[in-house]
Amino acid sequence: MSVISIQNLTRDYGRRRGVFDVSFDVSEGEAFGFLGPNGAGKTTTIRHLMGFLKPQKGACTINGMNCWDNRAEIQQTLGYIPGEIAFFDDMTGPEFLRFIARYRGMKGDGRRKELLDRFELSPTGRIKKMSKGMKQKLGIVAALMHDPAILVLDEPTSGLDPLMQSRFIELVMNEKERGKTILMSSHMFEEVERTCHRVGIIRQGDLVTVDSVDELKAKQQKKFIVTFENSKAAEAFLKEDLQTEMLTHHRVAVTVGDNIRDLIAAMNRYPVQNITAPNQSLEEVFMQYYGGEQA
Amino acid sequence: MNATLYKREMKSSWKLLLIFTAILTMYVVLMIVMYTPEMLDMFQQFSATMPQLMSSFNMNFSAESLTLLGYLASGLYGFILIIFPMIFSIIRGNGLVARYVDRGSMASLLAAPVKRRTVAVTQMAVLITGIVWLVVYASALELVTIAAHAPEQADTATLLKLNFGLLSLHLFIGGICFLASCLFSESRYSLALGAGLPGLMYILQLLSQAGDQTEGFKYATFFTLFDSDAIAAGQAGAMGGVWVLLGGAVILYAAAVVIFTKRDLSV
Repeated sequence: MSVISIQNLTRDYGRRRGVFDVSFDVSEGEAFGFLGPNGAGKTTTIRHLMGFLKPQKGACTINGMNCWDNRAEIQQTLGYIPGEIAFFDDMTGPEFLRFIARYRGMKGDGRRKELLDRFELSPTGRIKKMSKGMKQKLGIVAALMHDPAILVLDEPTSGLDPLMQSRFIELVMNEKERGKTILMSSHMFEEVERTCHRVGIIRQGDLVTVDSVDELKAKQQKKFIVTFENSKAAEAFLKEDLQTEMLTHHRVAVTVGDNIRDLIAAMNRYPVQNITAPNQSLEEVFMQYYGGEQA
Repeated sequence: MNATLYKREMKSSWKLLLIFTAILTMYVVLMIVMYTPEMLDMFQQFSATMPQLMSSFNMNFSAESLTLLGYLASGLYGFILIIFPMIFSIIRGNGLVARYVDRGSMASLLAAPVKRRTVAVTQMAVLITGIVWLVVYASALELVTIAAHAPEQADTATLLKLNFGLLSLHLFIGGICFLASCLFSESRYSLALGAGLPGLMYILQLLSQAGDQTEGFKYATFFTLFDSDAIAAGQAGAMGGVWVLLGGAVILYAAAVVIFTKRDLSV
């Protein structure tokens, strides 16, 4: 059964900004990755799910309830981490968490303490003075302390250091095991790859594809930069049966799909000094999958 | 109403309310204590010799305004009791909704099982509480100070009428500020309307009293609906405008709540 459902959602901000005819479903207990570069329409889509925006066309439902008409009721079992964290600056961390708990009508503190411990957060001091990472952690605790069944997470790891990022990913995996339905947006493939079954990729407001993570991985191409001892070797290497590109006299970029063994075999025959795998931006990864013009 | 939100917002209001309460205390007590027969003579002479100057300060001391309430109606209800509650409405009106939407912290309030209508009604109640407090406090202070200083001039019924009019005026101004706050996603637009419109109307009111050529401005400003001089003088029909203000306030608040409930919020 699908818990989150988006059908033909359209919001046109003009000049190709917005979201256009986006449709996808997230089933109960599923973790869905919502991937796209900045400004692609991830947050706009999520704002419709939260009932902040009314669809111009199409509709969104959560648990069968319309996201605009039944927004307060839906929030009962939903946890939301906003893409841009903005709290009440004048409050301290504990004041804010207590306020949200009472405001939501929670009895007691829920999972507050457990979550604070998990992220090693002691949020004393005014929110105004907190670092971005601190605010992000506070946002995570505020969103999850009432133990919601559905999680809507808009770039939840932004601002977190790598240790806390992986701790958050662990938390998401735990929640998934506990049967939670999760929609998580990100602009990094690696992040959703570890947590999600399926991934939807949005670009310039169009949902380009919905695929399983395994399928995407199979299509994924890797780029390596090989450095040779001399330019002669580099030039000779270009003639190998590989997708190569000369960068400088000594350095060659190689793109491989499922033929990494060919690359290794070829490299064995040349005086290779070094090999690196540069981080690929989502846009690059995206281009490899689907080609098309640069955004 | 959400009690948790109400408490938080009242906590944000109280410093401002404390300051304005102190200012009102000073002016109200001072104005009433200044009311002595000698001072009245002095003002009458001023008015006779320099009518333009006095009226431009919104102090028109004619024969019927020689009662204590007539004197307060011009002095207190023309300036101090208008300006300070109006500033309160402008600051808090903007702060209760538009500022949160502008900064994005409204998302925290909406990402909870609390209806938008409840959020709006709660914020409205916070604004109205502040306005009612300032007017009720000023009324009580006037009653006490008059009883102590000039008991022979006490006219509780007229004083309460004056303050009911004042309350209606401020609820109306608060309604404009609150509607502006619910209408715009950016603080600057909310402030432009919420502060600009009442400010402009007040200036028109001052101009309309400054001379015969500008008297026509009184038809362009809602401040005319609260005619404190006429109410103090007990003129028939003086309360008519007050009811219009009160009715207008109800419409403004209702419109603000409906608009906030139905609009798109990019937070």
